[in-house]
Amino acid sequence: MSTRINIGPVHPSTHGVLRLLVDIDGDRVESVEPHVGLLHRGVEKLVENRAYMQNMPYMEKLDYVAPLSYAEAYVSAVEHALGIEVKARAVYVRTVLLELQRIASHLLWLGVMANDLGQFYTVFMWAFRDRDKVLRLMEETSGARMFHVSMRLGGLQHDLPKGFEDRCHELLTYLEKQVDKYRNFLEKNSVFVERMQGVGLLDKERAIALGVTGPVLRASGVNYDVRSNNPYYAYDALGFEPQVRSGGDCLTRYDVRMMEIEESIRIVREALNALPEGSALGMPIRFALQAVQERVSVVKREMPRGECMMYLVADPQQPYRLHVRSPSFANLSALSEIAKGCKTADLFAILGSLDIVMGEVDR
Amino acid sequence: MGFGYSFAGAMLLNGVVGEVFDTVAYAMMVLALVIAYDYLLSWVERKVVARIQGRYGPEQVGKYGILQNLADFIKLISKEHSLPKNADKALFLLGIPIMLAIALFLIFILPFSPSLSSSDMSMGMLFVFVVLSFMPLIVFVNGFASGNKFAAISAQRSVVMLVSYELPLLVVLATVCAAAGSYSISGIVNAQANSWFMMLMPIGFAVFFVAMLSELGRSPFDMSESDSELIAGWLTDVSAPYYTLVLFLDYTRTFLGSLLIAILFLGGWQGQFLPPIVWLLLKSFAVSVLMIMVRATSVRMRMEGLIRFGWLWLLPLSLLNLIISYLLFIR
Amino acid sequence: MKIERVDLAARLNEMRKQGYTYLVGITAVDYVNHLEIIYFVRDLAKNTEDSINVDLDPSDAWVPTITPHFKSADWYEREVGEMFGIEIRGRRTDRLLLEKWNGKAAPLRKNFNWNEPYETMID
Repeated sequence: MSTRINIGPVHPSTHGVLRLLVDIDGDRVESVEPHVGLLHRGVEKLVENRAYMQNMPYMEKLDYVAPLSYAEAYVSAVEHALGIEVKARAVYVRTVLLELQRIASHLLWLGVMANDLGQFYTVFMWAFRDRDKVLRLMEETSGARMFHVSMRLGGLQHDLPKGFEDRCHELLTYLEKQVDKYRNFLEKNSVFVERMQGVGLLDKERAIALGVTGPVLRASGVNYDVRSNNPYYAYDALGFEPQVRSGGDCLTRYDVRMMEIEESIRIVREALNALPEGSALGMPIRFALQAVQERVSVVKREMPRGECMMYLVADPQQPYRLHVRSPSFANLSALSEIAKGCKTADLFAILGSLDIVMGEVDR
Repeated sequence: MGFGYSFAGAMLLNGVVGEVFDTVAYAMMVLALVIAYDYLLSWVERKVVARIQGRYGPEQVGKYGILQNLADFIKLISKEHSLPKNADKALFLLGIPIMLAIALFLIFILPFSPSLSSSDMSMGMLFVFVVLSFMPLIVFVNGFASGNKFAAISAQRSVVMLVSYELPLLVVLATVCAAAGSYSISGIVNAQANSWFMMLMPIGFAVFFVAMLSELGRSPFDMSESDSELIAGWLTDVSAPYYTLVLFLDYTRTFLGSLLIAILFLGGWQGQFLPPIVWLLLKSFAVSVLMIMVRATSVRMRMEGLIRFGWLWLLPLSLLNLIISYLLFIR
Repeated sequence: MKIERVDLAARLNEMRKQGYTYLVGITAVDYVNHLEIIYFVRDLAKNTEDSINVDLDPSDAWVPTITPHFKSADWYEREVGEMFGIEIRGRRTDRLLLEKWNGKAAPLRKNFNWNEPYETMID
């Protein structure tokens, strides 16, 4: 005898406008049907009518938790289409900024997920404070905490300000201690472990069949990370190592993301030490019309949530077609399979561990 | 009436009328104490939780934000009162006042010191715990009376929780009463003149504290009240002015629970230099602050997590405590 | 690689058996004379990727569903079908993924009329 309840578009935590129709039998979830599209803004159609650089703000608003990743992916796709080379220093600076963005995004995920589990905003407050520190550092580079619009074709709008490296190193040592503190706090809490272990199991074959991506895929034992399989920017030179665990439950996904924060800290440190000299500035916004070198350009990037593929069919001045295959879309489509038969309280643990941002699901 | 002073005598009222007058006067004093304690405790809760989270808590309204709760109270009672259409009006509206009445009544019958008590029943503790276990049942009734299926499901959980924690609670209670040699509250307190029961049976204290957290519906056991991610708790349809009663009830229950822990394990009103009632209140305040700190840092348990925890950990530990205590010092 | 619609399901199944087990995404492009629907598959073990393109006539836009072979194709197919007006034949459910249009036009086609009012519904 199952009741159908509606976990409406309005949520206590920042999942966004996701509507779940859940069939519950007693304490068990029989089926979950996500209804998406409440945040659909028609980005893929809008970009067709605007010039390349005019589309940057659209791309950033897709994943509003880690906007720099999308801006960079889009600029990369355009650079690929127009045949523009990224300057050597800009390669490293972009790596630094991308990894800082990843740390900020994972900190937000940590706070929101702990919140979902009933942890009364404590970890949320701590994680957001640390995220704020990272955002303040990124504000130094571009002037904006979140929607930077600082990527340009071939480089960046501004180079790193003076003294950025020192402040960044300070922040990184602080973040390392904080990550240890969070792990200590949460992993020694037996209630947390009990709620996360064995929940939302996803073994390797099922993970591949369901098409999940990012930390969810890596927590199921599949060693796939765009940064190592399909390297871009400075990841190859800095010896990036993907974090793969086999376990497939929520606790493993948590573990993978915490290890990713630590790996990102290491990459930022090494990238800052290896910054080449020169200029990191790219082309200005109003740039001279370039000839299209490759009409169809496909760019894959590793966002904090998973792998994003940008498929750009390029016209000289504007995109003819831009398709964004976002990682949250892929992960959310697997929710109904993962959450079948779990307990009602586990549904939110699973949703939190999948790390969904509705902006990029709905576009 | 265990008063050193009799209001009725002062007003030259005799007989039954005098007794009634005395009782009412004492009840007013207890009510004032409860309100003051609740107000202070809610302020402390907000500040302590805020400090644990790395922020300040209320700062603006009054010095150190002490008037914040008054401001919230005024805001809440000035909002619209509404009832859901399907609700059973009488049951729904009466449920919370009845729980409040029970909680206040239990505080009323507790002796606060040898000279300050309304009654000292010879079976005081037993009476308190029997009446205390009515509360989750009233939550259950209230959930059904909401006319809202989510509230009903959530209220059912409070009864399931009752099953899990009540038994360890009562076993530890029986152990303490056996160690003290009596069921009356002053008897239990006087038996702790040399050493508190917290020292003598630490396992029992831990079990009782955790079970009391669950009884009060506090984190990490607040599934029925704020299971708000999935199923909105039984408190969904409570309107804003009514919610003030719910908050009052919440803190009164916390006060009651802390008082009971202080009486049973921390030596009640024993202590030098200060008047006994001050000792009792201080001890119960310390227990309340401990509960607040647990709330700020804990993750909510799942339903079956609590059931497993109650039956596999709390109950065996309480029985272990009983055996050890019997062997060591209960004769 | 470009293949014909008739070979689509068979070809994808064959590739899946060869090791291309992971479907990255499905998308489509409206070149005004024809529609092109693109399937991206990946071989995780060998770390190679391939894309399968199928040209469709806009007036006869349908493809067979590949959900029997790739479970993850469900949402992608729904999205492409809804946005481009491509009919995906053989699907179990027909619920639109993003919004419930009154069914008149496909948004991402080039001949989509911006100025006409459309109704959407959330059920």
